[in-house]
Amino acid sequence: MSEASDQSRERVPKTVQVPAPTAWPMIAALGLTMAFAGLVTSFVVSAVGAVLLLAGAVGWFGEVFPQQHCELAEVEPAAAPVIAARAAAARLAVGEQGHRGILPLEIYPYSAGIKGGIAGGFVMAGLAVIHGVLAHGSPWYTINILAATAMANLANASTAALSAFDPQAFMVALVIHGIVSLLVGLLYGVMLPIVPRNPIFFGGVVAPLLWSGILYASLKVINPVLDARIEWRWFVLCQIGFGVVAGLVVARSERIHTFQHLPFAMRMGIEAPGVMSKRERG
Amino acid sequence: MEQEIALSAREQAELPLLGRLHEWVVTVDHKRLGLMYIGGGLLFFVVAGLQAVMMRLQLAVPDNHLVPPQVFNRFLTMHGTAMVFLVGMPILTGYFNYLVPLMVGARDLAFPRLNSFGFWLWFFGALLLYFSYIGGDGLYGAGSAPDVGWFAYAPLTERAFSRGNSTDYWILSIFLTSVGSTATAVNIITTAFCMRCRGMTLGKMPVVVWLAVVVAFMMLLALPPLSAAQVMLLLDRFAGAHFFDTQAGGSALLWQHFFWIFGHPEVYILVIPVFGFASEIIPVFSRKVIFGYQVMVAASIAIAFISMGVWAHHMFAVGMTPAGNAFFATSTMLVAVPTGIKIFNWIGTIWGGKIRLRVPMLFSLAFLFQFMIAGLTGIMLAVAPFDWQLTDTYFVVAHFHYVLIGAIVFMIFAASYYWFPKATGRMLNERLGQVHFWLFLIGFHLTFDPLHFAGIHGMPRRIYTYQPGRGLEGLNLIASIGAVIQALAVLVFVINVVYSLAWGEEAGPDPWDAWTLEWSTASPPPEYNFAVEPEVYSRRPLWDLKHPDDPDWLYE
Amino acid sequence: MATAAVSPIVPPVHAQWNLPRRGRAGILALILTETAFFSIFVAAYVFYIGKSLSPPYPRDVLSPPIVNTICLLSSSITIVLAVRALRAGHTRVFGLWWLVTFMLGLEFLAGTAAEWYGLIYHDHLTISTNLFGTTFYSLVGLHAMHVTIGLIMILVVMLLTAGGHLSRRYAEHTEMLSWYWHFVDAVWVVVFTTVYVIGR
Repeated sequence: MSEASDQSRERVPKTVQVPAPTAWPMIAALGLTMAFAGLVTSFVVSAVGAVLLLAGAVGWFGEVFPQQHCELAEVEPAAAPVIAARAAAARLAVGEQGHRGILPLEIYPYSAGIKGGIAGGFVMAGLAVIHGVLAHGSPWYTINILAATAMANLANASTAALSAFDPQAFMVALVIHGIVSLLVGLLYGVMLPIVPRNPIFFGGVVAPLLWSGILYASLKVINPVLDARIEWRWFVLCQIGFGVVAGLVVARSERIHTFQHLPFAMRMGIEAPGVMSKRERG
Repeated sequence: MEQEIALSAREQAELPLLGRLHEWVVTVDHKRLGLMYIGGGLLFFVVAGLQAVMMRLQLAVPDNHLVPPQVFNRFLTMHGTAMVFLVGMPILTGYFNYLVPLMVGARDLAFPRLNSFGFWLWFFGALLLYFSYIGGDGLYGAGSAPDVGWFAYAPLTERAFSRGNSTDYWILSIFLTSVGSTATAVNIITTAFCMRCRGMTLGKMPVVVWLAVVVAFMMLLALPPLSAAQVMLLLDRFAGAHFFDTQAGGSALLWQHFFWIFGHPEVYILVIPVFGFASEIIPVFSRKVIFGYQVMVAASIAIAFISMGVWAHHMFAVGMTPAGNAFFATSTMLVAVPTGIKIFNWIGTIWGGKIRLRVPMLFSLAFLFQFMIAGLTGIMLAVAPFDWQLTDTYFVVAHFHYVLIGAIVFMIFAASYYWFPKATGRMLNERLGQVHFWLFLIGFHLTFDPLHFAGIHGMPRRIYTYQPGRGLEGLNLIASIGAVIQALAVLVFVINVVYSLAWGEEAGPDPWDAWTLEWSTASPPPEYNFAVEPEVYSRRPLWDLKHPDDPDWLYE
Repeated sequence: MATAAVSPIVPPVHAQWNLPRRGRAGILALILTETAFFSIFVAAYVFYIGKSLSPPYPRDVLSPPIVNTICLLSSSITIVLAVRALRAGHTRVFGLWWLVTFMLGLEFLAGTAAEWYGLIYHDHLTISTNLFGTTFYSLVGLHAMHVTIGLIMILVVMLLTAGGHLSRRYAEHTEMLSWYWHFVDAVWVVVFTTVYVIGR
C-alpha cells in the first residue's frame, strides 16, 4: 500500500450531509394539480387543492427556513479504485501505416476534375445527340428533353415540337448540362482518390448506375410526364459514357501531395523542436 | 448550528415494502427522481405505444371496423400528446436528472426540493391527462379523452366545436407538465453553472452536460409560448374570451403560430439530448476521444438557435406570403448545416476507432443512419412547393417518426443499455439486448419505410380507414406488421429489464471502461454521490486516473 | 502494488475556483422563462390592436395610469435601498424601506382594481365584450397576478422581519426577491407602452 493512498483515505469523511427527504413539494404539486382539476370536475376539488397547495408551500418554506433540513449519510467503504481494463493506450501518428493510411496523402488537383467534367460532358452530349438522331431523326430531341426538367410546358409538348430547334430550350439545356458536368467532374476529382480499388470502374460504371437507378425510381413519382419520354437504356449509356471519360481524364492527371502526413507545426512552417514528439501541438 | 439531523438512511436499510415505497415518495435525491422520471416515462411509453399498435391494426386493411372513428381520434390525440409530454420529455429530463450532477461531480442538483416538485407536478399532470378517459364527459355528457390532435388547432378547440371537458383536460394537464419541466430546466442550468467540481471549466464539461444546458435553455424559451397559448384557450373556453374565436374577429392562425413557436423547438428539445447520449456512447465504444468537442457543442447551440426561427414551416399550407415561405424554407434548410457537422463528427469519432459492437453501440449506429435519412426527408419537406404536395400525408408522419423513433427512441434504448449498470449495479443481458435491437430495427423499418410511399401516393394522415384499390393496401399491411414486431421488441426489452434486475451479471463501478465521472462511483452510486469532491483536469477525468503517465490534460 | 511503480505526471494546481451563486442563476433562469411567457401575451395584444369588431375601443375608455406607474417604478428604488440596508446590517432601516415597497406595490394593485371597476361598470367592457377586452384583461391581469405574487412574498419577508427572524445572513435571498420585483417592473414598462401608448 503506497503512502499516497493512505493519505487520501484520511481525507474521506465518515458522514456526508444530504438534503433531508420531504413530502411537502409533492403535496404542493398535488394541490396545484387538484386546484386545476377542479375546473373540469367540481369546485370542491379546487378548494381542497388550494388548501393542499398552501399547506405544501408553508411546509416547504419550513424545510428551508431558517436553515435547510439535512441528514447525515454514512459514507460507504470506497468503491473499487479506478483502473483501466487495458492500461496501455495506442497512439497513432498521422501518416503512419494502418487504417489512417486511407487519409489521402495524394490528391488530384481541382483542374483535373474540371477537365474531366468538360471531356465527359462533350462525350455525353455527343451520345445524346446520336440517340436523338437515331430514335427521332432530330439532334434537338434530347436537348429539349433536358430543358424540360426546368421548363414544365416542354414535357407536355408533342414529339414534333420536341424535335424542332428551340433557342430558349437550347440555352437552358446548355446551362444545365454545363454546370452539372463541371460539378460532377469536380466531385470525381475529389472522390476518386478515396475509392480504394479501380477508380475507373467506380467512376465509370458504379456511380452512373447508382444515380440512374435513383432517378429511374423517383422520376416516376416526381414527374411522370417527363418519365414517359425518357429512353432509359440510352440514358444509362450516356451516363456511363460521361463516367468513363471523366474518370479516365481524372485518373490520368498527375497527383499532388497534401502534406497531411507532416506535423501541423511543420505544415505551418513553424520551428517547434520538442513539441513534435507529443501529439501535434501548434 | 440548529440543524435537524434525522436518522441516517443506513439504519433503516431493511424496510417493509410500504416503508420503501414511502422512501421513494418523499425522496429529494436526484438519482431516485431521475429513475422515477424514466420509469414513469416508460410506463406511458407502453400505454401510448399500445394505442399506436391499435391504430396500426385498424389501418392494416381497408374498410376495417376494429376501432370506431371517435375512438381512433382519441387514440391519435392521446398517442401524440403522451409520446411528447409523458414519454419523451420525462425520460430525457430523467436522464439529465440522473446524469448531470454525477457528471459535473456534484452531490445533488442545485434545488433538490424544486426537483421533487417538478417531478410530482409532471406525474400528477400525466395522471390527469389519462383520467380524461373517465372524467372527460364533464357536465355535457359529451366527449371522453381529448380528440383534437396533439396540436389542437383552433377554432376546433373552442367551446362551440369541442363540447364537454376533453379539451380542457388536454390544456390543464399539459400546462402542469410544462410547469414541471420548466422547474427541471431551471435546476439543470443552475447545477451546470454553479455546482461543477474543482477544475471542471465550461470547456471541460462532458458533452451530455453541455447539451443538457442547451436543452434546458430551449425549454425555458419554448415551453412558455405553449403555456401562454393554452391559458388564452382556457380563457376562451371558460371566461368567454375571443382569442381564437373566429366569429368575434379572433384568429385561428395565431394559435398555429403560437403552437409551432413551441412545437418546433420541442422537436429539438427531444432530439438534442440524444445527440448528447450519442456523443458519450460512440467515443466509449470506439475507444477514441470525441472528434471535435468544441465544434460539437457549438453546432448544438447553433441548432438550438436556428430552431427558434423555423416554426412556420409547419404552416406552408395555410398560405403565407412568398417572402414568409422563402424565409422559413431557407432557415429550415440552414438547420442541416450544424446537423451535418454533428454527423460528420460522430463518423470522425468512429473512423479508425477500435469499435466494440455491444448493444449500446448497435443502437447508436442505427441512430446515425436513421437520423440522417430523417434529416434528408426533412430537407425535402422544407421546400415549400414540395410541402404543399405532401403536407398532412403519411410522408410527414413517416418523416417525424424517423426522427422520434429512428433517432430518439433508438438512442434512449442505447442510453438505457449504457447506464443501466450504473443505476442498478447489474448489466442488461447482452443476448436479449441483441434480439431486442434486431427486432426493433426490422419492425421500425417495416413500419415507417413503406409509409413514406403511402404518403407520396396521397394517403392523408389522421384518417381512421381508407378505401381499397388505391394502392395503399400492401404498404399499410406491411406497416402494421412492423408495428407488431416493434411491440414484440419492446416486450423483449421489458423482459430483459426484469430479468437483469434479478439475475443480471454484476456490473462493478465501470463496466464499459468509460471516462466520465459517474463511472468513478459505486454502482449504484451512494446517496451522496462523491464522498470527496472530485477534482478534474481534462474532459476525460477517468482517463487521467487510469493513465497517470499519459493524461489528457497535456493535450487539451 | 504495480501501479505505485509508475511515477505519475503531476497535474497543475487549480488556483481559484469561483462559481456563480445558485440563487442568482436560478432567478435569472426563472426571469428568462417568464419573459418568454409575457412576450406571447404582448404579441397577441399587438396582433389584435384595432381588430375589435364592436365598441368600446381603447382610445375611448383608456387613460394612462400615471400615478400607478410612478408608484410601481419607484418601488424598484425602495427595494434596492432596503436590500442595501440589510447588507449593512441595519435590519430596522431594511424593515422601513421594505414596508414602503409593499405599500407602493399595494397602491399599484388598488389603482388597477379601480381602473378595472370603472371599465367594467362604467364602460361595460369585460373580457368577453370584444377582442380589446379579451387581450387587455388577460395581459394586464397577468401582470397584476405577478405583482400579487411578488407582494405575497414581500409580505412574508415583512412578517419575518417583524418577528425578528431576519438578519444580514438573508441579504442574498432578499436581493433575489428584489430581482424578481425589478422584472415585474420592467414588464410593466412594456405593458404600459403596448397598451397605453401603441394600442391607443
